[in-house]
Amino acid sequence: MTTSIRTELRKLRSTRLAWLVFAAAQLIVVAGVSGLVLSGGHLRDTDTVNKAVAHVGLVSLCTLLLGIYAVAGEYRHHTISDTYLSTPRRERVLAAKLVTYLAAGLIIGVAAAGTALITTKVWWSAKGVPLTLSDAGVWRTVAGGVAWNAAFAVVGVGLGAVIRNLAAAIAAALAWIALVEGIAGQLVGSELRRWLPFAAGQALGRATLGGSDHLPQWGAGGVLAGYAVIASAVAASITLRRDVT
Amino acid sequence: MTTPVTLCGLTKQFGAVAALADVSVDFAPGEVTGFLGPNGAGKTTAMRLILGLARPSAGSALIGGRRYAELDRPRRIVGAVIETAGFHPGRTGRAHLAILALGAGVGAARVEEVLDVVELAGAADRRIGTYSLGMRQRLALAGALLGDPAVLLLDEPANGLDPEGIAWLRRTLRGLAGEGRTVVVSSHVLSEVGQIADATVILAGGRLRFAGPTTELTASGESLESAFLRLTATATATATDAVPIAPAAPAAPLASKGERS
Repeated sequence: MTTSIRTELRKLRSTRLAWLVFAAAQLIVVAGVSGLVLSGGHLRDTDTVNKAVAHVGLVSLCTLLLGIYAVAGEYRHHTISDTYLSTPRRERVLAAKLVTYLAAGLIIGVAAAGTALITTKVWWSAKGVPLTLSDAGVWRTVAGGVAWNAAFAVVGVGLGAVIRNLAAAIAAALAWIALVEGIAGQLVGSELRRWLPFAAGQALGRATLGGSDHLPQWGAGGVLAGYAVIASAVAASITLRRDVT
Repeated sequence: MTTPVTLCGLTKQFGAVAALADVSVDFAPGEVTGFLGPNGAGKTTAMRLILGLARPSAGSALIGGRRYAELDRPRRIVGAVIETAGFHPGRTGRAHLAILALGAGVGAARVEEVLDVVELAGAADRRIGTYSLGMRQRLALAGALLGDPAVLLLDEPANGLDPEGIAWLRRTLRGLAGEGRTVVVSSHVLSEVGQIADATVILAGGRLRFAGPTTELTASGESLESAFLRLTATATATATDAVPIAPAAPAAPLASKGERS
């Protein structure tokens, strides 16, 4: 098992993708916080500090894609055969990917949190506004955002294992967030919508735009963990059964 | 070191189509076995079943008596080049082998060794996306050799190699078999394998057409090519009325060799 995890880490480090995703995550945060300040947010408002650091959670789109690539990318480049020749116990491969990408999601989330706090500090200083980070709510937002990153990385691994076509898996993930939760979510009403993965992620990372009805943060964390477990379980059942072509 | 590969009633159905139908044959240690058949004969399917990448519909494929999935550190026992395997184009050749080395439980020094063996050391730090077909084939062979395995299963390993590369491959495979390893080389190009194969297994239409010493194919003065064409021509007919040579227990000739070595 440790061998499989070390192998996954080695794979992750050996291509540029992880570094690109890492860099993109930091850019998203910097751009997001800057946009918030430049669009005239009230910097003395604690809620604005909250909104600034809530960009950490949005990075979960990156970790979701990275997770998808972890499995679907192996099918895309046909490296999955060599992976299974090294480790024919496929459940070990999947478990190693889940653990590795959970960790990668956490690391990217923590880095994004650092970038968000620094960017916020820089902007607040530039505007001559004292930044108070003593508000517990700000740290809950940061912690929730990091957890959202980790959860979406795991969901991504599961999704990539179920939809093994890389382009289709990425399209499905983006369509889900934009169309299913965005449009169909309005049709089914907020009572149902708030249980869906992206809405739960928003509640966890306290990145709820406007006052729409969301789950409480801890509840959202539980729901998202549930989705991660379901995604892993479905991925496991399919991975063990299917032939590799 | 001697590890035979035994197929027993191996069958793979894809829907109504039998890609492999009740194939029983032994691949013996200490020999190069040519695994021949026209495109679509079932060679790649058989290799995938042996390697546990696909599940047989019936029958079994055993490596030294065990299924691939039951092998501890399988890369130390079986090295494979399979057509359907690929490389991440953004990885360097050395990084690719380093990843396989972790799985095989061999050190970085072994990576350098196999890079030298396949004469790819000079290009090891280039991204695989820049490699020629022949270089990819050498890299695949390096991956197969990494674990110093007792069994080598090579699916069309000569693809993309230049004449010099093919000559090198022949020498290498002969040497490996000479060390007592089980070397199975599939090809749809008869001339590539005919010269070095001690034993020949011929598939057509998913069925076993011949298994025995290569010399037996040409014993009656028939050329290897015409024997091959005769054996594979009737691929669509049933096995019983199509195979003049195939014995009732097709595994017999090779199995006896396996016991001897």
